[in-house]
Amino acid sequence: MNNVTITVNAQTLSAPEGSILLQVLLDNGVSVPHFCYHEALGVDGNCRMCMVEIEGQKRPQIACNTRVKEGMSIRTLSDSIMAVKRSILELELINHPVDCPICDQAGECSLQNYYMEVGLYESRIDRADKVRKAKKVDLGSHVILDQERCVLCARCTRFTENIIGTGDLVIANRGNHACVTTFEPQGLKADGYAMNVVDLCPVGALTSGDFRFHQRVWFLKSDPSLCHGCARGCSIFIDHYPQKYGDDLIYRYRPRVEREVNGFFICDEGRLSYKNHTGDATLTTPRYSGTAITLSEALELYHQKLAASGSGVVALASPSLSCENLTALRDYCLQYAIPLFGVERGSFDETFGDDFLRLNDRAANRSALPLLGISEDESEMNAALCAASLVLNFDNQTPVSVDQIHFCVHPIDTRELQIPIAPYTEQSGSIINAFGKVQKFASTIRRRHPVPPLHELLSTIKGLA
Amino acid sequence: MIQRIVSRKFDIPDAHRIDVALLHGGYATLSKAFAMEPDAITTEIERSGLRGKGGGGAPTGKKWRLMPKTISPSYLVVNADESEPGTFKDRQILQYDPHLLIEGIIVSAYAMGADHAYVYIRGEYKAFHDRLVEAVEEAYERGYLGENIRNSGFNLSLSVHRGAGAYICGEKSALLESLEGKRGHPRLKPAKPECEWYFGHPATVNNVETIATVPFIVQEGFEAYRAYGTDQSPGTMLFAMSGHISRPGVYELPFGLRMMEVIDELGGGVKNGKKLKAVIPGGASTPVLTAEEAEKATLDYETLSAMGSGLGTGGMIIMDEESCMVKALHNLLSFYRHESCGQCTPCREGTGWVDTLIRHILAGRGDETHIQTLLDVSKTMNGQTICVFAPAVSGVINAFVKKFRPEFEHYFQRSEG
Repeated sequence: MNNVTITVNAQTLSAPEGSILLQVLLDNGVSVPHFCYHEALGVDGNCRMCMVEIEGQKRPQIACNTRVKEGMSIRTLSDSIMAVKRSILELELINHPVDCPICDQAGECSLQNYYMEVGLYESRIDRADKVRKAKKVDLGSHVILDQERCVLCARCTRFTENIIGTGDLVIANRGNHACVTTFEPQGLKADGYAMNVVDLCPVGALTSGDFRFHQRVWFLKSDPSLCHGCARGCSIFIDHYPQKYGDDLIYRYRPRVEREVNGFFICDEGRLSYKNHTGDATLTTPRYSGTAITLSEALELYHQKLAASGSGVVALASPSLSCENLTALRDYCLQYAIPLFGVERGSFDETFGDDFLRLNDRAANRSALPLLGISEDESEMNAALCAASLVLNFDNQTPVSVDQIHFCVHPIDTRELQIPIAPYTEQSGSIINAFGKVQKFASTIRRRHPVPPLHELLSTIKGLA
Repeated sequence: MIQRIVSRKFDIPDAHRIDVALLHGGYATLSKAFAMEPDAITTEIERSGLRGKGGGGAPTGKKWRLMPKTISPSYLVVNADESEPGTFKDRQILQYDPHLLIEGIIVSAYAMGADHAYVYIRGEYKAFHDRLVEAVEEAYERGYLGENIRNSGFNLSLSVHRGAGAYICGEKSALLESLEGKRGHPRLKPAKPECEWYFGHPATVNNVETIATVPFIVQEGFEAYRAYGTDQSPGTMLFAMSGHISRPGVYELPFGLRMMEVIDELGGGVKNGKKLKAVIPGGASTPVLTAEEAEKATLDYETLSAMGSGLGTGGMIIMDEESCMVKALHNLLSFYRHESCGQCTPCREGTGWVDTLIRHILAGRGDETHIQTLLDVSKTMNGQTICVFAPAVSGVINAFVKKFRPEFEHYFQRSEG
């Protein structure tokens, strides 16, 4: 498409001809209140909120349904267009319960933001005249609906209809009795992507049953990261609460836009996988025989066991470890002549993948194994395990019948030696997804007593072995 | 005054049966039409100046020209979702002369190259639906529908579809959405004029009466049609009169007659000899006229639009001197509140709010601010929605409030006293 020049509030912009004006304005940082338009869902034109003045047009136009043309002159701030926006916003709010103090969306709500931006009028509606609807509908899949707060932008219904194709959500009834609902009794499933509607909902109508009432959003810090739930490596935000005197707590994962990988969405399973990496879910101290021990005690035990086993030692690496950890591990094993395998039994889940985002390969970094020369030969591994007297298990879930030393993220129900390593949320690194894309992630979660990442741990025990 | 083009067979007993219809010239146009080039028929319709009779008054021939000929199949959809309050003209055709409609459908579909035709009929019109279905079955039996109609080589199938009782499904794009099995929500309008789309295929939506007029124009030529009416509004239309009128009913009249002449002479004047207060000229969605304006009005598109109202569907609602305009507006607004599809915010929330406001005024709780709010909301509803539902409501409110404001104020005086 050719780039053309348009004028916005006396500022000149260049944009592809025929592109959606609203998107161009948003991309250029021009604030245009809108509810129904979403880049992933396209134009629907029902909320009428994105009104702009276009020179030569008699009436204000919705920017979402306007295509960019050469020489267009747009105004978004004139008194007249502000009055139009205010009047539409007033209508959005007349049947809204204005229960922000008990609404989980408060702080990240489009209605609140737009009211501060273009509203600020005195209410003209009597509370008794507001239309009453259902306040708490459990749609299923951790999604809770408040019909009174809904602005009927139809983002959620368009998501289930056009993106997922299940059409779980519909709008029923007419006029100001219209409401979002599901076809009874199956509820909202959306093939395991249901919770994306919570992010899509611009207001407090759809909230996450998992997150609601646990933390106010203005206390949360959002940091970019990568989901390690499968081989796609979706971009996410980790929303966490930095406690002053304790460890950071993760409250939720949200999708982060990454067009080449996951677009705008993530799956529910990945979204809820934050639970595995926060609070007490991870191992923080070494354990042996069911009791906590210190790291130096653990390392001593490690060396004793290693010495006792002689040449019968085999190492197993999790294919979800970062490139940095795998490299350090490979070098360690090379140095001490320990055979290393990157095979993890059970890491392919034939029931998990689909044709949207989820992949059967549940390992985050399997693509790195051949690049690093780590063996993926399962029969060789089986033979090595049969002959082994000790297995060094680096977070690998393969069942093993001989004595093991675990270097693990999560506590394991065993009396064997467990030495904690940091989860991906607490270290930086890189992973290569199933399509060969190298993605970096940074450390987001701080602990008062940090658990070392595997590569640091290996550098400290190198000389002792 | 009365001219019989569409209503020609209305008084013939049993004209809805194909044998009777055939005796009185039913389907006679087909042989002439099939001998013509399809485009020549469209040209004839264009020249006749036939305007859509569903309320919009768009030129019919121009609409047919928008059908791309390259995509097959294409569709003719007849809009029989007659739901506009005060309008009851299409049902007369369905009841008394359904074969005229079918004849019109065949000729029109032939002209625009449509392969299938649908009649989308208002759900509440069960009896008329049944009668039309009977007529369609008769037409199939006699070979007027189906394959190779009357050995012309032209194929046309016709299905009759009942709506589920939504006013908005009379809007053509909402009608098509509904026909596709979705919620009847109007679609965003394209930037440039184009045909409608039914499952991604070209479709034209025409009103029942429009299609029923086609056989006359094809048979008698465009000049015969232009002999009636005015230059801008040629031909005739089924005008309906209801409300406080001595002889309510449907009358086929040429455009351009004086409104009061029609009310007084055909309608027998205001009921019980009372004085006229107001007329809603063309179905509920056209702004109300005062008695003085009605004196000046003529029944054609251009005069009524110049007066700030519209010819609409030609369904006149006559209100006598004892009518309460506040209650009349409340009646209309509760209808609109009920029928707004709920898609666009200004309409969904606006229709509810204005209805609430008028209830407060009627209950004696109103004051000047209620009227101001009513006008403000009506302003927001105008021109900021996908379809013309909300702008129509806005026009209705403005006309009632501006022309009869003292009646509204009377209600707040009541609360003070």
